[in-house]
Amino acid sequence: MAKTVRPEKQYALKKWWNQKYLQFMVIPGIIWMLLFNYVPMGGIVIAFKKFKITRPIADAPWVGLQYFKEFFQDSNFSDIMINTLGISLLKLFIGFPLPIIFALLINEIRGTRFKKISQTISYLPHFLSWVVLGGILTTWLAKDGVINDFFVTVGLLKEPVSFLGQPKYFWGMALITDTWKELGWSAIIYLAAISGVDQQIYEAATVDGASKLQKILFITLPSITGTIALMLILQISGLLNSNFDQILILKNQINVSRSQVIDTYVYQVGMTMGKYSYATAVGLFKAVIALMLLLIANKSSKKLLGRSLY
Amino acid sequence: MMKKSFKKVLALVMVLIMALSAAGCSRNETKQTKSSGDSAATKAPEDKTETGSDEVSETGEALPGWQQNAEDKVDLTWYINFSWFTTPWGENLVSKTISEETGVNIKFIVPAGNEAEKLNSLIASDSLPDLVTLGWYEPQVGDIIEDGLVYPLDELAEQYDPYWFKVADDGRIGWFTQKDGHIYGYPNSSFSPSDYEKYDNISSNQTFLVRKDIYEAIGSPDMTTPEGFKAAVKAAKEQFPEVNGQPLIPIGAHEFATNGNNSFDNYLCNFLAVPYEKNGEFNDRFTDPELVRWLKTFRELGEEGYLADDIFIDKRAQMEEKIAQGRYFCMLYQRTDLQSQQKILYANDPNSIYMAVDGPKNSKGDAYTLPGTGINGWTLTMISKNCDRPDRAIQLFSYLMSEHGQHMTWLGVEGVTWDYVDGVETMKPEIKELLTTDRTEYDKLYGADSAYWMFQDNAMALKWAVETPNPLGQMERWTYPYIITTSPYEITLEAGSKEADIQSKVDNEWGVVLPKLLLADNEAEFDTIWAEFMQKRKDWGIDNVLETKTNLMNEAKQKLGIK
Repeated sequence: MAKTVRPEKQYALKKWWNQKYLQFMVIPGIIWMLLFNYVPMGGIVIAFKKFKITRPIADAPWVGLQYFKEFFQDSNFSDIMINTLGISLLKLFIGFPLPIIFALLINEIRGTRFKKISQTISYLPHFLSWVVLGGILTTWLAKDGVINDFFVTVGLLKEPVSFLGQPKYFWGMALITDTWKELGWSAIIYLAAISGVDQQIYEAATVDGASKLQKILFITLPSITGTIALMLILQISGLLNSNFDQILILKNQINVSRSQVIDTYVYQVGMTMGKYSYATAVGLFKAVIALMLLLIANKSSKKLLGRSLY
Repeated sequence: MMKKSFKKVLALVMVLIMALSAAGCSRNETKQTKSSGDSAATKAPEDKTETGSDEVSETGEALPGWQQNAEDKVDLTWYINFSWFTTPWGENLVSKTISEETGVNIKFIVPAGNEAEKLNSLIASDSLPDLVTLGWYEPQVGDIIEDGLVYPLDELAEQYDPYWFKVADDGRIGWFTQKDGHIYGYPNSSFSPSDYEKYDNISSNQTFLVRKDIYEAIGSPDMTTPEGFKAAVKAAKEQFPEVNGQPLIPIGAHEFATNGNNSFDNYLCNFLAVPYEKNGEFNDRFTDPELVRWLKTFRELGEEGYLADDIFIDKRAQMEEKIAQGRYFCMLYQRTDLQSQQKILYANDPNSIYMAVDGPKNSKGDAYTLPGTGINGWTLTMISKNCDRPDRAIQLFSYLMSEHGQHMTWLGVEGVTWDYVDGVETMKPEIKELLTTDRTEYDKLYGADSAYWMFQDNAMALKWAVETPNPLGQMERWTYPYIITTSPYEITLEAGSKEADIQSKVDNEWGVVLPKLLLADNEAEFDTIWAEFMQKRKDWGIDNVLETKTNLMNEAKQKLGIK
């Protein structure tokens, strides 16, 4: 055994040495990741300890699962879970397919100039931060804002509606504003995948007399299933990540019953109220669920489509 | 060959730099904030101060420490726990002069967004700047002191600057001395109860404001009763549906926060003269029937469409814009929070300003009880153990606390910004003019008038206080007769204790319940929400909290010498 292994090992070492400059360039990245992604994970222990920020973590007494229990018994627990899942599922079922459809449509546009313009316009909002957008959106969505003005003038609404002032509109607002901001940008990855499809297939289909719709359904879509599956798995693992910035910015005290999600709750309790242990426990709970979701999604995708992350 | 080896060396250097910068990053940062880059100056403190204390023992009298060290330049970092504080150090007259006289240069560190977030992370990463200024009511104050993150000021003063004891106020020292016999932070804006007997021009921040021209156009009605209030609001909206083409907002308020709304809870209670204690027990003011009565009045106005959605949604930035446009008819508001907007309104049209008038009163028509700042004052400034030059920090404290320092921060430099006129310190007219018209420019050039308020001694300043000119003066003077001191009731529950946890739960629930109450469709719904809230509070254990508060209140009274 040893004899067969050694040359391979030597070969690997030699290969590694030959690429030494490239390999060296990876080192800072690895160090950075250990330092900022793995070392801080140690801090998770405070979810199980009664931690006080003025003292070292080691000094804090263990309390077991007390903070997890507290979260499950929290009077906000059901609201927070419903909102987190509700907003995320909406984004998954509606927000996820839209960029694909958009990419397919863009791909069919003939005039390159119009295609370029519409694409550029569609991903412009992506470059604005939520902080800036928050200010713009609260003004636009106010009762005397442009959006109400427009709907009332066109006759779609009888009376102006306070979009951010009523809990029942919040999920919709979260979905629409997020889609508006990211639609063009998310479509790019699908457009890239589409551009990789062999043109000869289309030509062959044209010869066979396939219609435009048929080409989309039987050539374009199947060709990008891999990309779609990959994006879907990632999306599902982030199901409980309901876009912290967006929600924190659009949330206010009257829509809070439909806008408080796990992330904003962790921020509120942890950072502004200083209950680090409790907030960490909530965050950890979320991370564990996210990991399970990722594993399930990956496994099912492997079974159904034969494609997976690993 | 040369070329190749050069490339190799270059590659290696690059890699090393990258690796080191990544690895060293976090550690470097903490160090830097600790010493704030004054490592050269840091070497000397020991012998310097020894000569300092020698001088003291020779003459037998406490000389101001700062006078001896003006030549030895030191940089100190100073954390201010208020994101709105943006006046820099070293650009205007006052800060330049202070730096010259004390040899201390300041670098302010101010949170960019949420204050608690910044402060908590500074504490957690053990990187508190040299000086720290927080509100006395912040829960972190107790933690910082208890866990030894700050120096005892009295010990520092004994060691480095006995002059401090000469300028420190005995009453304040007594009040802020902890159980261990040391004092860790010095307050600003602190008034002792006796000051309230001495002066009759102590002001409160809390006012009921109306837009002058609209109020006068509807006949200056009485707004002290729910009926009068409702009628006035309706008349205003009817006669002035729009301001400059935008809808009038009949009732304005502070921003709705996660724990309630200053206008509709705290200030309203103060206007309704809700007592702080009843039968020797700490009174739970937000449950008072008088408050409920007025909340119901606001709810009725809301039902009829006089509570605009804006007030529930707008953040501070949007509100400030609307105040500057004069879009609110009336509001319970902090008068010092709309100073710059008031000046804009005044410049546009002197009649469109806000003025203080009599607002909501309780059913017995009692006079308002508006809190002036009490013995706790507003902020506490402490010296962190991370400070490498505590000697210079305590000397800077003495400077700012002394009458000389107070003169400097209130009035500026004699001969430049003020002169003695008939023995009275008087600000030069052109400078006063700039102060009343363009505060930003004033701060940029001079920075007096308490632009650096961290040690402002309002009681001392009353000696040379001049009447605030309009358009701000009217709002201030209106509060004089209603001022009361609330020192014994300004108490904080121990951070992390069971009671504090319950209190924060109740506060958060109140933040959700209050808008619901105001927006309830009818009175029955209001009552249901109220009853549910009361039950929840009880279940969580509010009674224990009130009991603890009563004890703390009694302790405070004892300390203040009130029976």
